[in-house]
Amino acid sequence: MINFIAKNVSGLTHRAVSGKTYIYWYGYIIIYVIISLLLEKPEGMIMSAAGQVKGSLSGLFNARSIAVVGASPKKDKPGNQIIRYAQAMDFDGQIYPINPTQKTIEGLTCYPDIMDIPGRLDLIVLVVGADECVRMAREIARRRDEKGDVAGIVVVSGGFSEGGSVKGGEKEKAMLEPLQARSIRLIGPNCLGIVDQYSGVNTTFDVPPYIKGGVSVVSQSGALAASFLTWAKDMEQIGISKFFTVGNMADVGVDEAVEFLGEDENTKVIALYVEGIRQGRRFVEAAKKVSQTKPVVAYKSGRTSFGSGAVRSHTGAVAGNDRIYDGAFRQAGVIRAATIAEFFYTVCAMGKQPLPRGNRICVLTVVGGPGTICIDALQATGVVEMARLSDGTKEYLKEILAPTAVVGEPHGYVDLTASVTKEMHEEIVRIILADEGVDGLIYLNTPPPFLSDEKLVESILKGYNSFPEEERKPLLCVLTFGSNVSGLRLLFERGGIPTMEFPDVAAVVMANMIRYSEWKNAHKTFK
Amino acid sequence: MDCKKIVKDALAAGRSHLLEPEAYQVCDEFKITYPQFIYVSNTEDGAAAARSIGFPVAIKVVSPQIIHKTDAGGVVTNIQSEEQFTNEYDTMLQNVRKNAPAAEISGVIVQKSMPKGVEVAVGGLRDSQFGPVVMFGAGGILIEVLQDASFRLARLDREEALRLIKETKIYKILQGVRRNEPSDVEVLADLVVNVGNLLVDIPEISELDFNPVLSYPDRYAVIDARILLSSLIQTSVSNSD
Repeated sequence: MINFIAKNVSGLTHRAVSGKTYIYWYGYIIIYVIISLLLEKPEGMIMSAAGQVKGSLSGLFNARSIAVVGASPKKDKPGNQIIRYAQAMDFDGQIYPINPTQKTIEGLTCYPDIMDIPGRLDLIVLVVGADECVRMAREIARRRDEKGDVAGIVVVSGGFSEGGSVKGGEKEKAMLEPLQARSIRLIGPNCLGIVDQYSGVNTTFDVPPYIKGGVSVVSQSGALAASFLTWAKDMEQIGISKFFTVGNMADVGVDEAVEFLGEDENTKVIALYVEGIRQGRRFVEAAKKVSQTKPVVAYKSGRTSFGSGAVRSHTGAVAGNDRIYDGAFRQAGVIRAATIAEFFYTVCAMGKQPLPRGNRICVLTVVGGPGTICIDALQATGVVEMARLSDGTKEYLKEILAPTAVVGEPHGYVDLTASVTKEMHEEIVRIILADEGVDGLIYLNTPPPFLSDEKLVESILKGYNSFPEEERKPLLCVLTFGSNVSGLRLLFERGGIPTMEFPDVAAVVMANMIRYSEWKNAHKTFK
Repeated sequence: MDCKKIVKDALAAGRSHLLEPEAYQVCDEFKITYPQFIYVSNTEDGAAAARSIGFPVAIKVVSPQIIHKTDAGGVVTNIQSEEQFTNEYDTMLQNVRKNAPAAEISGVIVQKSMPKGVEVAVGGLRDSQFGPVVMFGAGGILIEVLQDASFRLARLDREEALRLIKETKIYKILQGVRRNEPSDVEVLADLVVNVGNLLVDIPEISELDFNPVLSYPDRYAVIDARILLSSLIQTSVSNSD
């Protein structure tokens, strides 16, 4: 750690100062680092790679008091929606609308200025114009100097570097500068901000309260992240720990976000949407560490060609920035999804199911076509091996199933046909999952209306839950009637079984789980 | 000679790539192996070199202005005799003068012709976001057509290099198809690791290409080494933004 910090800081000073001064600075930095390691660190402070002291992000996510600058009494304004979503959360801290023209907003006492807020203030949300944000940053700095509070701010407003204009970039810098000098963290600008389902903090105008769970979303696009949550909401496909949109990443980037969520006990899976990573190498280092304990599933857009300078070698011509991302993600254990459907469902499945211990997968179907599609897609992934059921399993299944049923032909394929009853599912699921040659199971059905929802789910769950938790294998459920059987899917989801509508997507999701499991085993850290 | 000095001198001379003999000197320092060669400046020395190396040999033109030697007509392989050598040597230089009239010819490499092996490519570049990055893929002209290549950030260990190699389609061929013996993938992994170290240790190298690298059941040989330089050094990617 010291070596790393020292190396980087000395790298910076090396170019700027003469030899003697350089040694002086080097010594100073080492002493500084040793002292700060010996002395108790200031609460909530972390050291960045550049040796600069940064405030911890937990001060924002665990804020007990939130001020919203630009709070509005009008229902059709983001500055009003933010207040209402903040109130709707399970949050027992203080919410302070800031607006010099109002006495109250949504029943809350309104303050003219952040300096007027009594008691401790942890988090400030800015929903005002860019110029006003720059002024507010200085005001926030003044509050920190006088009262010693404010861990960080979320800047929802746009009008900064995202447009690519010089002016916008300058405003962003001007806003950041007084905050950075005081270790006040900034999320955004140009973002939805953050939600923490456990602490009850919500700075967004787009994410109403959600079910608690183990999925955390990090995104450069607020709209995609909010959509992600919305897709999963009705059928309870995921539960959320933290929602983290980074916007222009003036201060907090995806690397730090992923690192932070890696440490978050409530986060079991990280869903990451990125368009570009500024500090690629730092991201890989952070993600690699996180991947050793929990999966990071990513969708990376912007697959444009590599355009930095004249490319004269083969390596340069073949590279393309996108393929380097591919390699970097693989190196870091990050699962890169090729499509948004794959991204979404991989996160859903990993949020609920254990990892497969091997790559031998069985397809259990009631319907022929979707079963075949699933097998094709499994084979195409290149990582899946179709499970060879033991003779005992095959004989037993043949005994209890109708003569029309197909068992283990081809390997790893069991077609129950429509003659199967819901009660039989329990035994079938149990016997297949108990087979030592099976590492994971995909169940497919339409299902026909004559099978009762409750009974079918109950039967499958009984079979699945007959194993102790540590022995469980992943089970994915494909219901090709999709949202038309949302009631049935909700029952499965509540029982912890992820559902999807497309058989090929389920195959790719299973392959992702296998890949991650393999990566994790190869990168086991021995303690 | 110290390879830092080779790179420094090349940049000082205004060159943006290393001459092939210089590139091989850099290879030496990073335990990267290539077929024996002798660097000559006339036909007579060339013929003597070919005799001492033993036929068949290959000859390659060396010029500060020529990066793509084959395109300039500056490569002849599989020369079987001294008589053929003299002919090919003169013809090659004539072709180069015709195709690249402005190019100054520094000399010619006479190198042992290698038996047929699986052609792979190992390369590297410095990416603005990721810093030094290594590549492994199918070699020869296949790399341009099939784009069968995978990447990793340097430095990397042998296990990571093996995972990189196994991601490519050419890996299936390396495992031995039909009657072909499997290639030594472990030594290829070492090559990838060494290329990674080379990129990290010499920040002036902007891109490099070892293509083809011939892979055999017990070893590999770098057949062509192209190392491009940049005077704009990125000292540490951790500092860049």
